Amino acid sequence: MSVQQRTLDCKDLHSYLKTLPAAVLDRLYNHPATCLAVFRELPELSRIYIMRILFVDQAVPKAIMGSWVSPNSARELEDIVKLLTELRVWQEVEMQGGLKGWLLNPTFRRNLKGALLGGGNEWSMKPNTDADPKARGIAVLDEYAMGRWECVLHFMVGSHQHEAISSDALQILQHAGLMKKEPGDNQLSITKDGFQFLLMDTSAQVWYFLLQYLDTANSRNLDLIDCLGFLFQLSFSTLGQDYSTDSMNDGLQKFLQHLREFGLVYQRKRKDGRFYPTRLALDIAAGPKKSMLNSLNASSQATGYIVVETNYRVYAYTDSSLQVALIALFCELIYRFPNLVVGIITRESVREALKRGITADQIVSFLRQHAHSECYKEPPVLPSTIADQIKLWAIERDRFLYKDGVLYNQFDSQADFEILRNYAQERGLLVWHTLNGRKMVVTKEGHDEVRKFWKRHSRNGSM
Amino acid sequence: MVNATEGVLVECADAAMKQLLLHLDEKLPPDKKFILHDLDETHVFIASKHLEFLQSEIDCFMDSVSFPLAEKD
Amino acid sequence: MAGGSRKYGKKDGDRYDASKKKFAGKKRKDFEDESAYDEGIPDGNEAEGVPEAAKHFIEVEGERQGEDEYGAKDYRDLQLKPDHKSRPLWVAPNGHIFLESFSPVYKHAHDFLIAISEPVCRPEHIHEYKLTSYSLYAAVSVGLQTHDIIEYLKRLSKTAVPDGIVDFIKISTLSYGKVKLVLKHNRYFVESQYPDVIQKLLKDPVIQECRLRHSVESSTDGLITQVQSKATSIQFGKPGTSGEEPGEEGKQVPDDISNFYDKMDKDEDDEDDSSLQTVAFEVNQEKIEVIQKRCIQLEYPLLAEYDFRNDTHNQDINIDLRPAAVLRPYQEKSLRKMFGNGRARSGLIVLPCGAGKSLVGVTACCTVRKRALVLCNSGVSVEQWKAQFKMWSTADDSMICRFTSDAKDKPHGCSILITTFNMITHQQKRSYEADQTMKWLQEQEWGIMVLDEVHTIPARMFRRVLTIVQAHCKLGLTATLVREDDKIADLNFLIGPKLYEANWLELQKRGFIARVQCAEVWCPMSPEFYREYLACKSAKKMLLFVMNPNKFRACQFLIRYHERRNDKIIVFSDNVYALKHYALTMNKPFIYGPTSQNERLQILQNFKLNPKVNTIFVSKVADTSFDLPDANVLIQISSHGGSRRQEAQRLGRILRAKKGAIAEEYNAFFYTLVSQDTLEMSFSRKRQRFLVNQGYSYKVITRMAGMDQDQELNYKNKEEQANLLQMVLTASDIDADEERVPGEIGGRPGPFGRRVGTMASMSGADDAVYMEYKRPSASNNLSKHPLFKKYRTK
Repeated sequence: MSVQQRTLDCKDLHSYLKTLPAAVLDRLYNHPATCLAVFRELPELSRIYIMRILFVDQAVPKAIMGSWVSPNSARELEDIVKLLTELRVWQEVEMQGGLKGWLLNPTFRRNLKGALLGGGNEWSMKPNTDADPKARGIAVLDEYAMGRWECVLHFMVGSHQHEAISSDALQILQHAGLMKKEPGDNQLSITKDGFQFLLMDTSAQVWYFLLQYLDTANSRNLDLIDCLGFLFQLSFSTLGQDYSTDSMNDGLQKFLQHLREFGLVYQRKRKDGRFYPTRLALDIAAGPKKSMLNSLNASSQATGYIVVETNYRVYAYTDSSLQVALIALFCELIYRFPNLVVGIITRESVREALKRGITADQIVSFLRQHAHSECYKEPPVLPSTIADQIKLWAIERDRFLYKDGVLYNQFDSQADFEILRNYAQERGLLVWHTLNGRKMVVTKEGHDEVRKFWKRHSRNGSM
Repeated sequence: MVNATEGVLVECADAAMKQLLLHLDEKLPPDKKFILHDLDETHVFIASKHLEFLQSEIDCFMDSVSFPLAEKD
Repeated sequence: MAGGSRKYGKKDGDRYDASKKKFAGKKRKDFEDESAYDEGIPDGNEAEGVPEAAKHFIEVEGERQGEDEYGAKDYRDLQLKPDHKSRPLWVAPNGHIFLESFSPVYKHAHDFLIAISEPVCRPEHIHEYKLTSYSLYAAVSVGLQTHDIIEYLKRLSKTAVPDGIVDFIKISTLSYGKVKLVLKHNRYFVESQYPDVIQKLLKDPVIQECRLRHSVESSTDGLITQVQSKATSIQFGKPGTSGEEPGEEGKQVPDDISNFYDKMDKDEDDEDDSSLQTVAFEVNQEKIEVIQKRCIQLEYPLLAEYDFRNDTHNQDINIDLRPAAVLRPYQEKSLRKMFGNGRARSGLIVLPCGAGKSLVGVTACCTVRKRALVLCNSGVSVEQWKAQFKMWSTADDSMICRFTSDAKDKPHGCSILITTFNMITHQQKRSYEADQTMKWLQEQEWGIMVLDEVHTIPARMFRRVLTIVQAHCKLGLTATLVREDDKIADLNFLIGPKLYEANWLELQKRGFIARVQCAEVWCPMSPEFYREYLACKSAKKMLLFVMNPNKFRACQFLIRYHERRNDKIIVFSDNVYALKHYALTMNKPFIYGPTSQNERLQILQNFKLNPKVNTIFVSKVADTSFDLPDANVLIQISSHGGSRRQEAQRLGRILRAKKGAIAEEYNAFFYTLVSQDTLEMSFSRKRQRFLVNQGYSYKVITRMAGMDQDQELNYKNKEEQANLLQMVLTASDIDADEERVPGEIGGRPGPFGRRVGTMASMSGADDAVYMEYKRPSASNNLSKHPLFKKYRTK
């Protein structure tokens, strides 16, 4: 019954990698592109550490490494130690004389060196040697990419004037929990997570979607390592350049076709022997972190289409049914003109969105991210009173928190109460308690266990 | 003798909100009362079966103190 | 939840609905009811006196359009022009118009829209206007022609203009503005450039009745034909220094727009460039009302214009603007609308508080240069107006006569008479002197009548004024024309169309009015107060949320904060009980109804000049009845239900731009303290609507940094709070009520039907009710403020 708000968990690259088994991780580091991608996303201090020990082919004592930062940064050092260990970039070893030290993962070391310095096997994708007679410009690629991606989104919002998506895409949407079949209904319908997904920015959407895809890689007879490696290669490729499919195995060829459907690569014909990565592919692995930066840069300003006024009016310069559908998630629409939608943010419309599982922060960041260029002339791009109010409406819904549970009261003695409370607390079953009147609430699930303990205890006590 | 009761723990954001719950409960006939235990300044324990009713009462109340800021016409 | 008479037998769904209604409907009525404040006692026969065409509601036309899947009005079939990006408007078939304020054509479009439509909201980027028959009537009366309105609208629009809109403009304008009512040599004429229209009118039996025929006129139709002389445009004093910003011109403005704009701009000034032939017939003065009404019914409303330059019957008065009087661009623009064709048009000019309405009024009087009558809503305003005349014009004491209960200057021979609406419309027995003055006033033929703060006056009172005063031209001034209250209809036909309405945000940006930070401070109800609030009946509820200890602390905290900054703070409380309690506890001077005139003056004087008196508490008598000195911080602790106008007026108290203030920074603060989760929240939002549509935004403050740590604040512990609660609970219901301001125009029997005790606050209040025979102030030394006494003895 707990109705806490859940936010869609969109992992960044590192959090995703941490979920992989150690063996998979180790194999992954066989790809220089993967090592470079992991390295690129590390916090600055970790990168400095790695660079300092990259060419030291043995473990380095912890004491020495600790002296590289001022004592003030001890906390930060702890964090990166934890991160690098979890990513299996390095591991703790015992050195001679019982000293503890850190040793870089040798595979990681070798391949990162290769990626940074060159030499060894070529790790990046090879551009085609012969020029494409029908070369595609960047503008065409961008249009293709967005067109394909919006196709998926259109499907989610249920706008029917668009082409259907493949059964693979359907599966992924279901697997990801973005859409589901209601019992007794043949149609897929969008879920709470799906609504949240729609309001994320594009690169975060693509990344989230791909992670879900990779989750199902094995069931598609695809090699996760190969696919990830290829994705990272893509992320280091050049926009507007075409690459050869020659060296790709069957699994990767299949993977490529899926990427083509979602707009990450462009291929004129399947058998063309060449493909173009699009911006969606280049953005990959940056995860939600970088796309936040994205929203601040000039390109999103140029494509921004939403004006939010201090009187709660929303004006969206768009004729896209997808964009209109997104705005309608949290806005009441009042006028449609050929190139403009007029809407209004109301308490009701926002509450409606909140009920669907969309969070106030998601609405606010969506409005900021797509702010019209006019709004940049006098920041903030979204009036702060509007952002505040949307959040206040969300808080208003959270005035009461409800937790299922079982209340224990009428204890005979303080000692009895404390014994039972401590028991529940140690097992993480305690929800709430007060000494005043000796009352405690345990989780519904924990009730059985606590009750049994109490029976044992009172029997013993009575003996 | 220790007593165990199933239900829902309601945590109120502030003490005034708990007063609202007490007030709503007070007005109800005995069979409709939802509060089982008044625990402390910000917590009450209620019967699960009345939860939905309570939530809609709260919504009604919140609607009553809000006013549409934006005008459509 | 106050009702308590719920039925639980019904199905759940029903019950929820029922309780929802109870919350939304019935309970609100108890406190708010803006109508009581805004509209006054409703006049019975409002609908008559409004032309048929004006009753057309264009919205109905628009309803035929479809809706999209989200329930929005779907106008996607409007043809988008290829160069839509350089055109600033969307025109919806239901008469709503959207304007991009960032368009290079903004200036052109804005001037035009203000002339032909009503602004709905004007925030930062996109403004909404609405075409109404009234607004189009106003457009015609400032000289715009049907064809030009349609043509220009087409050019400005990004899409094709809907046919329904074109038709609507035609219907609403074709018959308007064709016939004028002109007062010449103390005789009234109906005049038109269109002989066929005059003929048509004369066929009507009612109009025939009204016609005045002199036997000397022997020509067959008895019509007077004359050629109107060429008008020269009028200069208002020195042109303002900060005129329109140059430079924007030519940039991305499509030629058809800029050419047309130039043409229209010229038209406006030289409408009568070529000599025009007009026909006219004379009207019996007693039948003016009748013929006005009849013409409206016949769809030819009479426009009132005053050809003051050719009025040789009435003597010029010797008054001019002083060289120091420099008009701001918007002041000049509004006057140009009034005097556009060399004559004086009657109508309304809407400017925010603090934007210099009186200079506009004084300039209008100096332009007409005939005997002028100024009507305001309080004795204090009368004094202010006199001061304004002396400041901006060459008028001296001998020329200005004040007619109030306090000041009865000798009227004979004066050029400018300043009085109140109440003085004029007073129906009980007058003193001998007053009676003489009234007689004189009624005999005069006034060149211009300026009506200040017209929005506060009920139509009934207007009608009475108009039957008493003979004025060639009427100029209404107001800051807040709140649109939904139907007042607009009355004002349109009783005074004239709206001639100009300024944009608040724009004036703020250009530094003409202060940049105000508005904030709504949420004060959590203490649980004890909230429990009582939920349980008690409505009258007491108000007292509980106003006296909420957390609100008191927030107020105290804000006062201390701003006093440290050397700000000047005015705290408003409509509830007298709270007013006294707050002020006495914090040891601050306060003014409310019973405060004597002398005491008021001394408190205000102290506030103005004494560096130690930086905060005063005032009740709502301060809203209209006296001139508050400049302050830059305003705190509302309790305010009338949902009155948008009161909110705007109060904001106006701090709008007067400070010299040398930087327009980019906030230089004034407007706080409203509301008790959380009470009805006050809803009132507060309701009050804000007008200002929000002018582009103001209220920052919600849920927590004030440092407040909890401030040990100097009262009610910091439960005991003190409990004592306060006890006090509040034992207070009578009368204390719970807001102050009644006697003579508050538009007041109606209060919502609680209990009025006995409020007599106390009525006794010595402002001069409205007892103005004629005002006793020596009823408030005696007993009610003197202790703090104030202290200052006096020093």
